[in-house]
Amino acid sequence: MSYLKEIWHSRELLQNLTNREVRGKYRRTALGQLWSLANPIAAILIYTFIFSFIFRLPAQVGNPSGLDNYALWLVCGLLPWLFFNRVLTLGVESLVSNAGLIQKVYFPRIVLPLSLANATFFTWILEMAVLVVALSLLGSFVLPWLPLVALFMVVFGLFSVGLAMMFSIINVYFRDLSYLLTIVLQFWFYLTPILYPVELVETQSNKLGGLVGTPITLLDLYTLNPVEGFIEIFRNLLYDNRAPELSTVLIALGWTVLAFGAGAWMYARKEKMLAELL
Amino acid sequence: MSDWAVRVNDVSKRFRLYHERNQTLKSAILRGKTSKHEDFWALKDISFDVIEGHTHGLIGSNGSGKSTLLKCLAKIYWPTSGSIEYRGRMASLLEVGSGFHLELSGRENIYLNGSILGMSKKEIDSKFDEIVDFSGVERFLDQPVKNYSSGMYVRLGFSIAINVDPDILVVDEVLSVGDEEFQRKSFQKFLEFKKRGKTVILVTHTMPVVKDICDTVTWINNGEMMHTGPAADVVKKYQSSID
Repeated sequence: MSYLKEIWHSRELLQNLTNREVRGKYRRTALGQLWSLANPIAAILIYTFIFSFIFRLPAQVGNPSGLDNYALWLVCGLLPWLFFNRVLTLGVESLVSNAGLIQKVYFPRIVLPLSLANATFFTWILEMAVLVVALSLLGSFVLPWLPLVALFMVVFGLFSVGLAMMFSIINVYFRDLSYLLTIVLQFWFYLTPILYPVELVETQSNKLGGLVGTPITLLDLYTLNPVEGFIEIFRNLLYDNRAPELSTVLIALGWTVLAFGAGAWMYARKEKMLAELL
Repeated sequence: MSDWAVRVNDVSKRFRLYHERNQTLKSAILRGKTSKHEDFWALKDISFDVIEGHTHGLIGSNGSGKSTLLKCLAKIYWPTSGSIEYRGRMASLLEVGSGFHLELSGRENIYLNGSILGMSKKEIDSKFDEIVDFSGVERFLDQPVKNYSSGMYVRLGFSIAINVDPDILVVDEVLSVGDEEFQRKSFQKFLEFKKRGKTVILVTHTMPVVKDICDTVTWINNGEMMHTGPAADVVKKYQSSID
């Protein structure tokens, strides 16, 4: 409890560190914050060309929105993933790269990954705002769903920063983790239905039936991935304009509580030893 | 005699000296153990009180453990056993300008560094002019600090830190930053701080400084407390042990 209180007291520090990240990042660039939109746009162009034009993925029609646009369908899943990816790759280094500060000043160390996640979240909001405009222009009636989108952005943010918190502590012990993570994230990206619909996995899974004599199917294993549920929620709200299934929401909430709880618990336990471990 | 402001209770600090520090997964998996180590006690059963409003010096030769103790007092290290209690707000000043972001301006860094040191935005607002005046970098306030000279950099860092205004200040030898004029100014500031009844704990190697400004002193040697008490007595014992 006293730990939570301490975090609450350092909220101004958290805000200042967030500002440091946001303002420091695009200093002395002509386009400034606009650069944060460059990466997603490049990814959208490449993936749309490959998967929609060359590979001819089946059309993704939003139900009930009636949208039929691969690029938009892709972005609804891609933006959450890019956020997740950045929080993890930046967050895992957050303690090691601030070693100098940790060894000289006392402050709740948890603000380091939190401020990084906040700054990344800020970028994500900008990207999502552009997406909402694009969706509205192209015929998705997304406005009534925005409060829910915002809510799940926060939930997904907590899930992501929870993982980042755990990884940042493990990275103090095993510096390999940050390198390993970039590879894991590549696998993770392709094992999440961002570029292709989950229905394609379902088809293959049905062909295979139960794996090695058990009733467990490929799809069961595939949907263990917590990010899969979040992507589905975001697509339901933004692209399809309907409420996500309750079971998906509950599982996503469960993962969030688990990830954030474990991350916070690790900080409460290890924080005092960080200065000498680094 | 008034009350204590800081109470150090039987503080011991153990470090692990690693023969093979296995910080990679490969070695952890291949050898099935994380590391081989030997214990090293940097501090053994240190106890003393610092009276409110007193300036307390920590002295000892290099490697004696006084910096470890200072880091424990600054809450950067946690004692392996024993405890340290505080009455009032503690701030530490072990290095000036840590946490500056090089691309940000002096103005932005004052707010950033101030909040790292535990000041609220309101406090920084009210002390902003004083910090700027004292540091003498007014003309360059909106320049990124990476363009500052090293002197300007430490002066700004020091000015922020000295304006944190805690009840208890834990200082490493940072009073010797900047040119002679700035040093005189900061020493003046330091005496003012003392006069207002604040408690200071500092590490120093210069014995005249100890005699001038410290009320009480703790002498540490090889992690053990040799003496603690009035400055003049302990310094005399310390100097006779060297000679």
